[in-house]
Amino acid sequence: MVFLIQQTMLYAVPLMIVALAGVCAERSGVINLALEGIMIFGAFMGVVFVRMFQNAGWTQDQGQLIMIISLFLTGICGIAFSMLLAFSAINLRADQTIGGTALNMLAPAIVMFFIYMIIQQNTMGMASGGAAGWFMIKPQTFGYEKGHSWGPIIDLFINKVYLTTYICIIIFVLVSIFLYKTKTGLRLRSCGENPQAADSLGINVHKMRYLGVGLSGFLAGVGGFTFSMTTANMTSNGDVAGYGFLALAVMIFGNWTPLNIAFGSMLFGLFKCIAATYATLDINGDGVYMLNELGISPYVYRMFPYFITLVVLAFTSKSSRVPKAEGIPYDKGQR
Amino acid sequence: MSEYVIEMNHIRKEFPGIVANDDITLQLKKGEIHALLGENGAGKSTLMSVLFGLYQPEAGEIKKDGKVVKINNPNDATALGIGMVHQHFKLIEVFTVLDNIILGAETTGAMGFLKKKEAREKVIALSEKYGLKVDVDAKVEDITVGMQQRVEILKMLYRDNDILIFDEPTAVLTPQEIDELMEIMRGFAKEGKSILFITHKLNEIMAVSDRVTVLRKGKYVGTVNTKDTNKQELSNMMVGRPVQLEIHKKPATPGETVLKVEGLTVPSKIHKNNAVNNVSFEVHAGEILCIAGIDGNGQTELVYGITGLEKATSGKITLLGEDISNASIRKRALTGMSHIPEDRHKHGLVLGYTLEQNLVLQKYKEPQFQNHGFIKFDEVRKYANRLIEEFDVRSGQGPITVARSMSGGNQQKAIIARELDRDEPLLVAVQPTRGLDVGAIEYIHSKIVEERDQGHAVLLVSLELEEVMGLSDRILVMYEGEIVGEVDPKKTTPEELGLYMSGAKRQGREAE
Amino acid sequence: MPRLEPGSGKIKWYRSDGAVAVYSALISILIGMAVGAVIVVVVGLLKSNISTTGIWEGVRLVFLGVFSTGRSGSQLSFGFNAVNMGNMLFRAVPLIMTGLSVAVAFKTGLFNIGAAGQYLMGTMGTLSVGLWLGWAGVPTFIAWICAFLAGVILGGLWGAIPGLFKAFLNINEVITCIMTNWIAANLVTWWFDSHEMFKNSAEGGKIGYVIPLKNVGVVTPKMFMDVLFKGSQANGGFWIAVIIAIAMWIMMTKTTFGYELRACGANRHAAKYAGINDKKNIILSMAIAGCLAAAGASLYYLSGNTEFYWSTYQKLPAEGFNGIPVALLAANHPIGVIFSGIFMSMLNISGIQLKYLTAYNEYISDIIIAVIVYLSAFSMLFKTVLSKKIKKGTGGNVNDEPTPAQVAATPAEQNAQEEKEIIQNTNDFEEDILEDYKQLFDQNAEIAEAESEEGGQK
Repeated sequence: MVFLIQQTMLYAVPLMIVALAGVCAERSGVINLALEGIMIFGAFMGVVFVRMFQNAGWTQDQGQLIMIISLFLTGICGIAFSMLLAFSAINLRADQTIGGTALNMLAPAIVMFFIYMIIQQNTMGMASGGAAGWFMIKPQTFGYEKGHSWGPIIDLFINKVYLTTYICIIIFVLVSIFLYKTKTGLRLRSCGENPQAADSLGINVHKMRYLGVGLSGFLAGVGGFTFSMTTANMTSNGDVAGYGFLALAVMIFGNWTPLNIAFGSMLFGLFKCIAATYATLDINGDGVYMLNELGISPYVYRMFPYFITLVVLAFTSKSSRVPKAEGIPYDKGQR
Repeated sequence: MSEYVIEMNHIRKEFPGIVANDDITLQLKKGEIHALLGENGAGKSTLMSVLFGLYQPEAGEIKKDGKVVKINNPNDATALGIGMVHQHFKLIEVFTVLDNIILGAETTGAMGFLKKKEAREKVIALSEKYGLKVDVDAKVEDITVGMQQRVEILKMLYRDNDILIFDEPTAVLTPQEIDELMEIMRGFAKEGKSILFITHKLNEIMAVSDRVTVLRKGKYVGTVNTKDTNKQELSNMMVGRPVQLEIHKKPATPGETVLKVEGLTVPSKIHKNNAVNNVSFEVHAGEILCIAGIDGNGQTELVYGITGLEKATSGKITLLGEDISNASIRKRALTGMSHIPEDRHKHGLVLGYTLEQNLVLQKYKEPQFQNHGFIKFDEVRKYANRLIEEFDVRSGQGPITVARSMSGGNQQKAIIARELDRDEPLLVAVQPTRGLDVGAIEYIHSKIVEERDQGHAVLLVSLELEEVMGLSDRILVMYEGEIVGEVDPKKTTPEELGLYMSGAKRQGREAE
Repeated sequence: MPRLEPGSGKIKWYRSDGAVAVYSALISILIGMAVGAVIVVVVGLLKSNISTTGIWEGVRLVFLGVFSTGRSGSQLSFGFNAVNMGNMLFRAVPLIMTGLSVAVAFKTGLFNIGAAGQYLMGTMGTLSVGLWLGWAGVPTFIAWICAFLAGVILGGLWGAIPGLFKAFLNINEVITCIMTNWIAANLVTWWFDSHEMFKNSAEGGKIGYVIPLKNVGVVTPKMFMDVLFKGSQANGGFWIAVIIAIAMWIMMTKTTFGYELRACGANRHAAKYAGINDKKNIILSMAIAGCLAAAGASLYYLSGNTEFYWSTYQKLPAEGFNGIPVALLAANHPIGVIFSGIFMSMLNISGIQLKYLTAYNEYISDIIIAVIVYLSAFSMLFKTVLSKKIKKGTGGNVNDEPTPAQVAATPAEQNAQEEKEIIQNTNDFEEDILEDYKQLFDQNAEIAEAESEEGGQK
């Protein structure tokens, strides 16, 4: 059970961070289809930073510190990359869907180009060691022996987890407070609903949208790093397995509100987790791998999250609340 | 101290290819109600946008209390005490009334956290002081249009503005609500606030304003004292030639029933109630039946239900004796219905198509224009040229002009040409003159009357009281999705209509 | 005279909208390639193992890769390379088809980002049916037709799914397309994984691939392509793609069906108002888009010697997404798609030359393609600026327009009036015209707005 929850969190955390990234952009009125691309770029830059620290002589004992610094730097890179979208969507009033698609094509191209130029391979990992060894919180982190257990409850929180889970919770709280309790949040949301009104009240719509896309870029970059660390052993190969798009679906499923998104990403995390681990999943601990014995093709499990998304969309389409001005370029002249 | 709180001197504002404001001067005294009069497209909105900092003028200066000021954005305008109630409300529908009022002028504590409690007290105090009743915690999408306007006024008061601009504020109000608004405006003026009142309705100007500035086609015509002028003179100034204020038509000779609607009910997309609730009426050949009412009382949905754009949940529609309740849109059209839609950009035209393609929008499937699914382009061109000639639709490149690049008046004429040429027994016309100038309005009115005189039935939906009174042979008033009264335009008054429109009066209740 | 007679309002061909679209595409291409070249130069300067000559070779290959004939001595040599040219046309086939797929959907106002899934479904249908019928001994011509149709129909059905979601639930097709892509990837993998007979176990190390269709002889005839481009993979599939593109052009511009489809795309509400069944047209448009994308896969694998790596559940075929730049570059014009498809294919060939002849790699061409997509996102802006520049001096802006204020005047008055109007043209003003002018910039905004009014979904 502990294993299942922890595994689910591994998949749910990046989804949730990236879905929240989507909320920041879309609430300001910009469709961020480029989440996937920013994640890909973030995952790559994350690996680059980690390698940099490793090459600079930092050691495994400083793993958590390396991770936090790299995570932050990756977020900055995410902002830089997302500015390409912001520029075309906000300044040039271009079609946001096409702009996002361009970034989704650009990210893997650039990443693959540079990975080849750097190491002449198609996958780049850490300079040495693995993600679990360097970044996972485990008994050794606290000076205990390997294999130490604090009992299921405490294990759940601090044994074999990544710090990113807690960072994700902090992000969730911060984004919620920002959107609903602060002046800037109120203004940002108004730009996604009725930019003409916001403008007439002296709110700088372009600035707010840049802020929204920038936040979105930061979080998506962080999400890409998290994805790479927790599910891909800190490697980058120009692909995040459609996670950015899945995050978009989670965002829609969560009706653009942080709380629903948290719930939605847990659900999708669970499906993802089942798809990845069904063969070795022992749900009630009796040594029987139930899902495996059902004899259903693994591809069915893999299809499941996407399939569920379609079904959920079909059922929630009527009640959903899209930010009204989303996807519509704002032209000052057009009051 | 200058006599004027605001002076706009020799303002010039150009847009690529056109001059929106050409040497316009407007001077506003302290404590006066100053009307700005002009047709649709005269440049009133542009001028106000300049004052409000939304546009920068190419030439001219703005003075506040005699000192030249530069207004770069709405923040500057607010800082100078200028506030504006826009014609199309600038409200965020999913926000509460309170959030809408404080947006852009928030009081915050540490770290930018909102302090809503103080704001709330201030809003409630203001609302009580001026008798502007609002529900601060309701979402804007749930409140009435009248209350939305009060929210807009509170927004200005919350910012302590003392120069208040009202842009066409009466379009969405009943005659009674208009009176209330004017009372509120007089109250503001008495307090020393200065009011700019933008309108194209002469009655309101005569009723409330102290002075009038008239614009025509982007140019300044003059400023007069209201008490020294009259409606005819103002209308001449506005249009530049004598205007026929009355619509001339022969008495109607109603024939047999063309359209019969029984118990029609159409659900609403916005709220849970029905937008149209159990409505029944008949339209006869050779009469203009007008549906009057305040915007949003189900007129749009009624037309959608009749034309098939929206599915009705119950009720029966009979056109020329044929039951079309469940027929497709095209079937209804072919049975004998033409339709001038409310929104010419949304429904009336495919803006990306050329004029000729738009002119066959209802006819492209007829054998005249296609052969086994292939369009006969020369036939389309011939037909388009004929309609362009007959209805005098003007455009840059004739039939191959892209509809988007045509002026609003000519776009509307193209729609009217297309629909009237179909020569169907029933014409459904929804706000056919919205946003057009006087010349185009006169033309369209004459065409509608002509249609009636040919023995066709006309169902007209209009929000303009003058149009309703002048054009129709019979009036039905809609309120909250129901028909609350039927009146004869020759025997009723705007005040009586207003009572029906606001739901204060209704016929037939006693009979039930 | 305000109303121009038909014909006199025409502008010269090099000033027409079509020409402007071509100019803006060429600008996008040039900028894209320039960015590619700059990256080559910068990376070359940073990397110690790339010499100045290496950089120069890289830059030349970015622009002229398709004319490369390899190395003679230590120098790169250029000239007509029949193999490269033929392979360019061969690889252009799926790009043209997915490009058409995206373009047709675009014309109906839909963004078909699901071409990848449709392509995979087409692959599955064509390969399975082709192999079955080949083994069953069905005459190769009939087997070819059946295999082709199987792929096309499967792709069409797959494409219809996002169409159904859009038409009946108003869910944005982008998100459903992405979901159906991944479902297709899993379905196809599942299908081939559970059918051992399709796996190529005869050749060592090829177990991950499906048996190529040449083994059963179901292949597209060469149709002189082998004569023209000796030694290349080019075959008749290219001609078929060209014919389909022309057919699409006729369908979209000459028929009532195309008129309806485009009306739905340009203004769904107006189409509905005119009695056009908008739901049906949306579904049909997506189904056609699906057919076209799948036809690209069919033609590609029916060439015979192309091999399909079936374990594709983690990777979507690039052809699906490259249809987007192909369509955008062609401004969604079916005939233009032929050329932009060939151009994209040329970039791929250049990429391969870079990989084999220099220290660079083929991903540079993906970067160029992405830059072109990015630029085409604001090609509207290019076009507006260009048309203003170009159309100046044709004697008056086409947007300038007389005022309708005097419509009620008599003909005689009108003539006098018209003369005055021409003089006053700049002064006579209608805010409506102003609005229309702005709309030129905001076509997309309007569509999006209409959509969100519907209470639409993402």
